This record gives sequence, C-alpha cells and structure tokens, in this order.
Amino acid sequence: MATTTLIDTISTRKTPRLSIPQTVRGRYRTIKTIVALALLTFYFAAPWVRWDRGAHLPDQAILFDLPGRRLFIFGLEFWPQDLPLAVGALILGAFGLFGATTLAGRVWCGFTCPQTVWTDLFFTVERFCERVLGKGTLASNIAKPIAQIAIAVLTAFGFAAFFNDALHFPTALVTGTAPIGAYIAIGVLTLTTWVFAAYAKERVCLHMCPWPRFQAALLDKESLVVTYQQWRGEPRGKKRVPLREDLLGLTALAREASMFEGNRGDCIDCQRCVNVCPTGIDIRDGLQMGCIGCGLCVDACDDVMAKIGRPAGLIRFDVEGSELHGSFQAPKVRMLRPKVLLYGALCTIALASIVIGTLRMQSVLLDVDPQRGQPFVQLSDGSVRNDFSVRLAHRLPELDRVALHIDGLPGATLRFADSPAASETVEVAVPGNRRISDRLFVTAAPGTAPSGRTNVSIIVTDASSGAKLSEAETYFWGPAR
Amino acid sequence: MSVEERDPLTGQLTTGHEWDGIKELRTPIPNWWLITFIVTWVLAVGYLVLYPSFATTKSYAPGILGWSSRNELSEATRQARQQQAIWRDQMLATPIEKIEGDEELRRFAIAGGQAAFNENCAACHGIGAVGQIGQFPSLIDDDWLWGGKIADIHTTIRHGIRSSSDEARVSEMPAFGEILNTQEIAATADYVLSFSDRSRDATRATMPGAALYANNCASCHGVGGEGNRDFGAPRLNDAIWLYGGSRDAVIRQITQPRMGQMPAWESRLDEATIRMLAVYVHTLGGGEK
Repeated sequence: MATTTLIDTISTRKTPRLSIPQTVRGRYRTIKTIVALALLTFYFAAPWVRWDRGAHLPDQAILFDLPGRRLFIFGLEFWPQDLPLAVGALILGAFGLFGATTLAGRVWCGFTCPQTVWTDLFFTVERFCERVLGKGTLASNIAKPIAQIAIAVLTAFGFAAFFNDALHFPTALVTGTAPIGAYIAIGVLTLTTWVFAAYAKERVCLHMCPWPRFQAALLDKESLVVTYQQWRGEPRGKKRVPLREDLLGLTALAREASMFEGNRGDCIDCQRCVNVCPTGIDIRDGLQMGCIGCGLCVDACDDVMAKIGRPAGLIRFDVEGSELHGSFQAPKVRMLRPKVLLYGALCTIALASIVIGTLRMQSVLLDVDPQRGQPFVQLSDGSVRNDFSVRLAHRLPELDRVALHIDGLPGATLRFADSPAASETVEVAVPGNRRISDRLFVTAAPGTAPSGRTNVSIIVTDASSGAKLSEAETYFWGPAR
Repeated sequence: MSVEERDPLTGQLTTGHEWDGIKELRTPIPNWWLITFIVTWVLAVGYLVLYPSFATTKSYAPGILGWSSRNELSEATRQARQQQAIWRDQMLATPIEKIEGDEELRRFAIAGGQAAFNENCAACHGIGAVGQIGQFPSLIDDDWLWGGKIADIHTTIRHGIRSSSDEARVSEMPAFGEILNTQEIAATADYVLSFSDRSRDATRATMPGAALYANNCASCHGVGGEGNRDFGAPRLNDAIWLYGGSRDAVIRQITQPRMGQMPAWESRLDEATIRMLAVYVHTLGGGEK
C-alpha cells in the first residue's frame, strides 16, 4: 500500500513513449470497443435521424437551430428561456459523474470521454496502417495522417451536422452556400480533433484536463479502482525465479506476507501492463493521476497470468478499503455509502426537476408592453385608445390561428396595425412564421375608458378550440376624470 | 572595472559597484524583453510612415496609406447605402399604396421611417408621433387635417403645410376678432362646442351662434362641423382639439387663429425616405385605408 498516491502532480512517465500502445484482448477491451462503437455510431448517425414536425419546421430529430435560437430533440423544442433545464442537465451530468467516480473510479475517462474514444480510434487506424502497409514504411507514414485527417474532417462535419440540416448540408458545403460559421467550425474542429487525437493523445489527460485533479477529492478507499495487487506481485522477478511459497496456497489471506529472499511474487516484470496503457503509466506504482481507469492493463496482465499458469487478477479493479483486499477473492463494492446516496439523491432531484420543467414548459410566450410616448390616444368619437407592442411566439406544431382579447375592460375592441377592423377578439395567423411582433391597438368605447390607470390582461386563445394559451398582465390608461 | 568579478554565493557577475561592502549583482535585461522593446520601435517607425502621424506647419503628414477615419466612415456609409439600394429602388418602384402589402418592404419602410422620423419629425410631433396638445398634431389618432390615406400623408410630407413650396397645402382662417364683436365670438364658440355635446342636439338650431356659424364658418368647417380636408379645416364635432377644447381656447382661436406650419421635406429628404416616413406614420394607428 505504501506506494499508493492519489495525487501526482508531475509527469507520470519516466521516458517519453515513442510508439503507440500495444494491442490487447480481454474483457475490458471488449467493453471499451462496444462503448466506443456505440458512442461513435450515435455521434455520426444522430443528425441523420428524421422526425416529422410538419411543413413549417425542420424534420431533423436532433437539431441545434442557432439562427432560430431553438433546439429540437425529437418531439421537444427548447428555447433560450428554457436555459434552467440545461442547467439541470449539467447538474445531473456533474453529479452523475461524481457518483460514478465515487463508485467505480474514472470510468468516464476510461470508456466514454471523447478524448479516449477518438484517441483509441486513431490508435486503431495507426495499427491498421502498420499491419497492412508495414511498420515505418513510407506508404504507412503517408497513409496514417491521411486517414487520421479524413476522420478529423468527418468528426468536424458530424459536429456541424447537429447545427445544420444534415441532408442538405454536404451539398451546401461543397457548393459554398453554407454559412461562413460552418466552414470556420469545421476547420477549427478538424484541427483540434487531429491535434488532440493524433498528436496530443494522453498529454491531454495528463496536462490539459482538469478532471484528474478532482479525482483525489472524489475517490475514497471504497471506490473501485484499477490496482496492482502488490501483496502477491512483489518482489518482481524473472519467471525462472521460484515463486514465493505463501502464494502457492491460493485461498490464503496474505496481506502480511513477508518477503522471501531469492523468491519472487506473481509479477514477472514483463512490462505488458505498461506497454498497453493508453497514458503510458506503470500501474504498479499505485493509483495515480495518469490512470484513466480503462482496465486495459487488467486484460494484459490476466493474459500473462494465464500463460504462466497463475490465477488472474494480479492487476484488477479492486476496492482498497475492502476486507477482501489482499486476497484472491473478487472485490465487493458497498453501494449504500453516504456519499453515493447523496449523489444519488442529488441526481434524482436534478432529473425530477428536468422532467417537471419539461412537462411544464410554456408553449406560448407572450410579452405585452405599453407603447412609450403618451399613455393614451384620444380619438375623434370620444373613445380612448392605448397602444401596445405585442410579441408572441409559440412552439405548438398544430397551432395556426390564435385569438387575442382583453380582460378587465368590458367592450374594448382590439386590432393589429393591418387588421381590417377592430373587434372584441382579434385573430391572427401564426403558422410558419410563428413569431409576431406588432402593434396592438386597444380602444375603449366613448365613456367606458377608466379614469387613470387600470389593470388589464391580454389573453391569447387557440382560435379553433378556444383553449386559453397564455395571458399577459398590463395596464390601460384613460383620461383623468 | 576591467576585471570581471563573480559573486561567490550565486556565481553571478557583479557590476563592480560597491557600497559599504555590499556589491550589486549584474542582472541584465532578459533578451526577450530587449527584443520586444526593439520590435516596438520598429513598429512605431512603421506606423509613422504608413499612417497620419505628426503635424506640419500647414497640415499634417498623411502617411503613405492615406488612411483617415473620415474616409473610413464615408466608405462604410457608402457600403451601407449600397446594401440598402435594392430596397430603396423597390420603394420607389412600388406604388405607394402597395408598399404596406409587401411584408418585407413594409418592415424596411417602418424601420427606416422610424429612424428618419426621430431625426426630422420628432422635434415637433414628438417621439412616437404623439404630438403636443396646443402645438403640433398627434399623428397616431384618427383625426387628420389634410387626409389620413397614405397618399395624403405622402403629399403633406413632401410639400409641407403653409411652406415655401409651390404645391404646399395652404389655407388661412380669417381673424374674426376684426370681423365679429366679442359677444358674437362667444356665441359662435358656444355653438361650436355644442357639436360635441349630444344633450344640445335638440336646441342647437335655436342657439344665438347658429346664424353666425352658418354665415362665417360653415363654408369651410361644414354645416355640422364635420370639417373639410381640402382646406385643412378641422372637424369641430369631435373630441380632438389641437389648440384646446375649452370655451376660452375656442374663443381665442376664433379671435386670433393659430395655424400650423410644416416645412416641405422634398428639398431636404430623398423620395425613398419620404415614402418610408409616410408608411411609418400611416402604420402608427391612425392611418386610413
């Protein structure tokens, strides 16, 4: 246990690694591959999924419509006003991440982080080029960057496709009709993807990412982390050196095992765990900042243990504070810990807030402000008019006509600047262009205008069903009597 | 000073200066700093040559790029004008009654009209065209002296009212203080005020001012006070009184009438701007179809 260090502020690598990590097979490699494929599939395929929203709206299932300032996610449409929901999602993500880290260490880093997924993809491309074209050959040295830059371009395009209609976007890009921002975004993202995944790789994790610095605060003795079982590994030695006698009885709890002169532990110092590590660390130095918890060294070591006929698990996901630590038995994670329960509760609250917030989203937004200038307009026939600026926006796909009337001023008539005539209820078409920004004229018949100020409400209803959609409180001025 | 001396503790060279046994280490300016300093000088000379820099006895050194902030502004203005040209041309090509029917043209006209209004018209008619009671008419109510159709508004803006333009809208109300005596004027005022008082409908014809009004006022203001837009004669049977609706104000107006003036904007604004102003004013709430 002595070498376990939670914080390691200097570089964990003694010598710079010159080549890419070796390939490995095993349980965690399979999980990592499946997760990466699923995430990459989502990333590249999601913009192409369609969702019918009728004639006036884009039919892309997930679309960040920046010019329209709205976000479509399947049947939902979000507006800037719904930012608290995004905050809720961020809180959920943060506490979910904290909770997952507390339980199982840096699984986010090891399996799902884009940096991990893309670096892994780029490693695969490099290995493929070396296998097919030969290591260090001119052909492979040319093919590698070409393939990687092609992936970087596709990645950048995939990102931009979330913000543009994916079906027409490629054509627009090629013909030069896409917005200038699209070209800039694709250019920048191609560069960052390539630099991060092909050049910077684990340096991003070691030197740029703030997350490893948090892990000391989040991990505790009960977290499931990748560990080297020092009690059975040490002292390291060549395979021909005889094994420690106490290790031959597999069930023994050997925590207090003494060192035997001339004998070795289970570790034969083959360096496989170091050579497969994506960040190039030596896990045998103990838990450290450079460990992203991907478990590839576990696969590598299990493989070696099988070959030398020793039980697997010299390097394994383990709970350091557990009773079972220091034995051959599999670790048990205690779920009901205050920290886990707290994160669970916070996640539940955040999730519930998002769900409730989404269900209660205002689908019709109405702003009514009295026009500045003079509070009321005296008309020829003795009636009194108040002018308002009305802004109305809605996100109801079926709504195409709304009706406005005023509450609190009996007999008052309404009209917009281009309405043919004033009436108690004014209707306006709202399909397609679903935002109205117009002057609303409210006229109180002669003698009915209030003296001074009175509170009124402008009410918006669905013209076809009569259902009330929204209400805005404002006031109406009349001449003092 | 010729012998270089090293400080034994730090290994650094000293300056050779010594005060009471205390020696100063020589710590030269870092190279990066020195280079930056030299580069700033080079850049400064570059600016001096390229851009306007120092005053001469008669003018100033313009720099070989010939840059000036005034040129930059006029270039930006020219570009903005060029971008607007398509809309302005369309504004001129479209019959004025049709402008409001074109959604985009209408929006452009209202935006441009509002800017032009605030600059040229708001001084008298007020921000938002609400007018000033006793001074300048409100343009958002439904009462128009010279007509509230968009073509009427356009003509008024172009040629003005009682302005120096040949086609200006002109009319003049005589000063009745020189024609009628005080009692007669008071009686006329009472009669005029009765138009907007329903309770006087039955007795109005018998009022002393009835005959006076018929003889002196009805030719312009109409028998029932309905006004006449050909002469800019205001309605007298409504609730809107530009110069005040009290009895005193009406007597004052009959005795020594005030008549507003408005400049002909034709000579100051271009036709497209005048059209935009007309559209803006027409959409403020009082425009007639």
